[in-house]
Amino acid sequence: MTFTSAHLVALLPIVVLGGAAIVVLLLAAFSPSRRVTTGATAIALAATLATLPIAARVIPLDVSPLIRIDGAALLYTGLLVACTLGVLGLSTAYLKGLGESVGELCILLVTAALGAAVLSASSHFASLFLGIELVSVSLFALLAYARDEKPNLEASLKYVILSGVSSAFLLFGIALVYTELGTLEFARIAELVPLESASSVYIAGGLGFVIAGIAFKMSLVPFHLWTPDVYQGAPAPITAFLATVSKGAVFVVLLRYFMLADAYAYRPLIVALSLLAGASMLLGNVLALLQNNVKRILAYSSIAHIGYLLVAFIAGGAVAIESASYYLAAYLASSIGAFGVVAILSSGVEGETQTLREYRGLYWRRPWLAAVFSLMLLSLAGIPLTMGFVAKFYVVAASIDASLWVLLALVIVGSGIGLFYYLRVLVTLYLEPDDVTPDGARAAAAPSGHVVLAVASVAVIWLGIFPAQLIDVVRALAFTNG
Amino acid sequence: MLDMLWLVPLLPLAGSAILMVTRGELSARTVAVIGAGSVGLSAVAALLVASGFLASDGDTVRSGIATWIASDRLVLRFGLHLDALSLVMILVITLVGFLIHLYSTAYMAGDEGFSRFFAYMNLFTAAMLVLVLADNLLLLYLGWEGVGLCSYLLIGFWYKDPANGYAARKAFVVTRAGDTAMLIGLLLLATSLGTLEIAELLERAESSWAVGSGIATAAAALLLAGAVGKSAQLPLQTWLPDAMAGPTPVSALIHAATMVTAGVYLIARTHTLFSLAPDVQLAVAVIGALTLLGAAFAALAQRDIKRILAYSTMSQIGYMFLALGVGAWSAAIFHFMTHAFFKALLFLAAGALILALHHEQDIFRMGGLRRRLPAVFWTFLIGAAALASVPLVTSGFYSKEQILAGAWAFDRGGALLGLAGLVAAFVTSVYIFRAVFIVFFGPQAGHGDAADVALVDGRGESTRGGRIALLLPLVALAMLSIVGGFVDAPASAFSDFMSTALPRAETAENETAAVMLEITAAIVSLAGIVVAYRLFFPHGGRVKAPAVRERAPWPAALDRLWASGWGFDRAYDALFVKPFVAIAAALRGDPVDDAYSGVAAGLRAAWRGAAESQTGELRWYAAGMLAGLVIVLAVALLL
Repeated sequence: MTFTSAHLVALLPIVVLGGAAIVVLLLAAFSPSRRVTTGATAIALAATLATLPIAARVIPLDVSPLIRIDGAALLYTGLLVACTLGVLGLSTAYLKGLGESVGELCILLVTAALGAAVLSASSHFASLFLGIELVSVSLFALLAYARDEKPNLEASLKYVILSGVSSAFLLFGIALVYTELGTLEFARIAELVPLESASSVYIAGGLGFVIAGIAFKMSLVPFHLWTPDVYQGAPAPITAFLATVSKGAVFVVLLRYFMLADAYAYRPLIVALSLLAGASMLLGNVLALLQNNVKRILAYSSIAHIGYLLVAFIAGGAVAIESASYYLAAYLASSIGAFGVVAILSSGVEGETQTLREYRGLYWRRPWLAAVFSLMLLSLAGIPLTMGFVAKFYVVAASIDASLWVLLALVIVGSGIGLFYYLRVLVTLYLEPDDVTPDGARAAAAPSGHVVLAVASVAVIWLGIFPAQLIDVVRALAFTNG
Repeated sequence: MLDMLWLVPLLPLAGSAILMVTRGELSARTVAVIGAGSVGLSAVAALLVASGFLASDGDTVRSGIATWIASDRLVLRFGLHLDALSLVMILVITLVGFLIHLYSTAYMAGDEGFSRFFAYMNLFTAAMLVLVLADNLLLLYLGWEGVGLCSYLLIGFWYKDPANGYAARKAFVVTRAGDTAMLIGLLLLATSLGTLEIAELLERAESSWAVGSGIATAAAALLLAGAVGKSAQLPLQTWLPDAMAGPTPVSALIHAATMVTAGVYLIARTHTLFSLAPDVQLAVAVIGALTLLGAAFAALAQRDIKRILAYSTMSQIGYMFLALGVGAWSAAIFHFMTHAFFKALLFLAAGALILALHHEQDIFRMGGLRRRLPAVFWTFLIGAAALASVPLVTSGFYSKEQILAGAWAFDRGGALLGLAGLVAAFVTSVYIFRAVFIVFFGPQAGHGDAADVALVDGRGESTRGGRIALLLPLVALAMLSIVGGFVDAPASAFSDFMSTALPRAETAENETAAVMLEITAAIVSLAGIVVAYRLFFPHGGRVKAPAVRERAPWPAALDRLWASGWGFDRAYDALFVKPFVAIAAALRGDPVDDAYSGVAAGLRAAWRGAAESQTGELRWYAAGMLAGLVIVLAVALLL
């Protein structure tokens, strides 16, 4: 295979991100200025976004067996890099209050974003594993970023160990598949596995292990147990990254695998994913019900939301890609917003602002933050005029389209339960302020965090009212891989 | 003259409004003047209207004052309709009603609710007048429900006793069952014929519905259900005996002039519909026959003088239904009129008794009152004779004889219906003279302080005005009970007059058969009195209440059955009241809400259980992952 300029153009987003990692590393080492480092990182991420339209001119294109740049790859790269940019904005605001240095964080965010980009374009188990490890290893350090905080260390440790287990699952599964087929390319797997021989123990077992490994990263029930602890312990912006970019990237690669390897034809995998999705929707919502820690509520909520997302995914077909993509975008925007409020309120606060009591009467003290938080909660609950509503509507439509009645019932039940705890938090924001309520984060109010919130809010409302603007993009890009 | 028609219902309504607005602030004398005077003026207006109507050529008079409802498909006015039928009705209602009001001024004197009583009574009269004068069925229904409301208010007039409240609710709820059917009937008529204007509606029904067609049958049956409820006929008769809880003049008003006759009027007014549904009309006759028989036997076993009269009313209304059912329309109205006279008389006389004996109502605790209360005795005797239809000299004889003749001439089981009427006539004689003999003859019961009622008013003080107010209605009604029959006998002036509004009954072809029937009815009536004399006249000693009961087991059982009104109350209690109360009790705790709070409680419990899984221990989390792996592998490998 020859490497032409077209391949280089297609690979531009990944190339830019890779270069950015080196540049930021050097800047962090030699420049004492926080502003320069974070500025450069932001510019690098923005530049990556700018390369997407350029790369779009040559797609679809296979760049080596590992990477396939197509419309979907560019779309998801864009979404995930945009999220990373958001997390960067929240982190600088957060760290300013904490007094930690920011350079290392910038490096790690860029490498994680690189991993996400690789996952978005992956067409091979090797690139899949590489991407996942790039994201995970970056996260190990990010989770423990405030290394003096005990909860940070605990969160990181738990994630490291369990992530190691899941990587082992993943690798073993990949090995089993390779044993049987002798290839790791998604597209080749589709060719080599006629439906009859799919019952081979190696392939079935191998794919089972792969699903288990991926389910951990997406924190599906029963691989979810780590989620609330790690979400609670991690610095709030990193929690946002964990909930959005890390989960989203793994979901994207799962979607790619199913599309390229035509795994929809393989029933047992669908059944297994349906089980995980159903359990996630149910248990995720139930666990959040009477929880008093806002970060844990959001953690459980994210478990349930990945369940909904999987329902759209399981539905299969053209509508499924459309609905899953829209849902992913809605989830990313709402989560960044919700965790962003927590991050800004927690900036410079000992032990962060986490319990529901501390949010009591927030509206009377910080009306802007309370309004944004309300909007994000409404979007997560799926109330009309937000992206969350359109997204949930899509999921319901897709599951009806595919006659997934049981899952649809669980979506409805889960949404009903969800409404309770979202409203519970929402009501708390508007209650009479408690005298003893600590006034969280009065000092730290870095503008970058507020910019991120504003952008997320505008997206949630604008695309909630005019969803067609995003849907048209999704349609134009997601179906270019032929 | 005819322009005064509006005054007839308006005067009592105004009287009621004044008494309600003043809320008992007026003096008793003013209240009496307004209460009785408004009905009296109404009666005068009715008489003037009647003279005007008779002077004219007898055409139907219609007048409307305002539009009530005007929609695209239905226009209704506040309109009145006067023909021979409604003229007779308003005359009876206002005249008898006035006498009852006059009597009440003495009977209720001193009662703390004196003003309230007349407010209700006036409203009652006004509602009944609206009912009979309405030119459309919805206005009729307004009067119909007004009558129901007032009966509730008056039966429960002495509201401090819970039993009275119960009786009032019972009357309201039981008649309500019929009212609902009637409302459905009205809606059916309005939707299928496009009008509720009675004359227009009957014309359209006649031209567009075939005889015996389903819709005609349904409409007639629904109206019948309403009539059965208001007129206390089987199977909705149970409220009437309990309605005795009200003051006695109320009973007189309910039984003689208003309320129970509303059903008779409704059927007569819409007779065209019933002619279109012969089966329903037959049902009217059968219901009438069954009720008149059953109620007569039940009256035989009562001890309370007012309950005797209550069952007697039920039975007499049964005769009217029988007449309607067999097509003897004019006979039904004739009997309504004579019954109004003698039943009002009986009730008012009984009221005088009760007043004199300090609210004693058990006939077995009375006795020998003939000498103590001569005026009451003679008037009551005249009323009883009219009820027992003593031949030739009482009005009841002529009207009942017409009904029996109509029943005999009926071609669908007429003989059976006529036989039922004859048997009941016999029983009627027995039960009413049982009361007469026990109450007025024999030695005096232990009421030493019973003063001559003619000399007292409600407070036990003799006033000239009170005496006149009590006695005048008795005497007037006694006169009417005697001469009331002669309007149609021997010359058939009344039926000729009624024939302008209602179809003529088929006359018996056989002249001798008619005479035979007349003679039989006369014999039966007199035989009943003789039997009552043999059984109940206190020869020497007083009649013991349980005299019949101790003799043999079967009469005792029968006596209990009749005394309880054939056990309908107990049956309805078991069939409707108890299940309803049980359902209400079961719903008291809002079990439907339990389902929702159950969901909440279940989720709470689920949360508690699920939260247990979040231990914070790393090895447990790893175990969870392993469990998940096993599940996924199991599905992947085994499926």
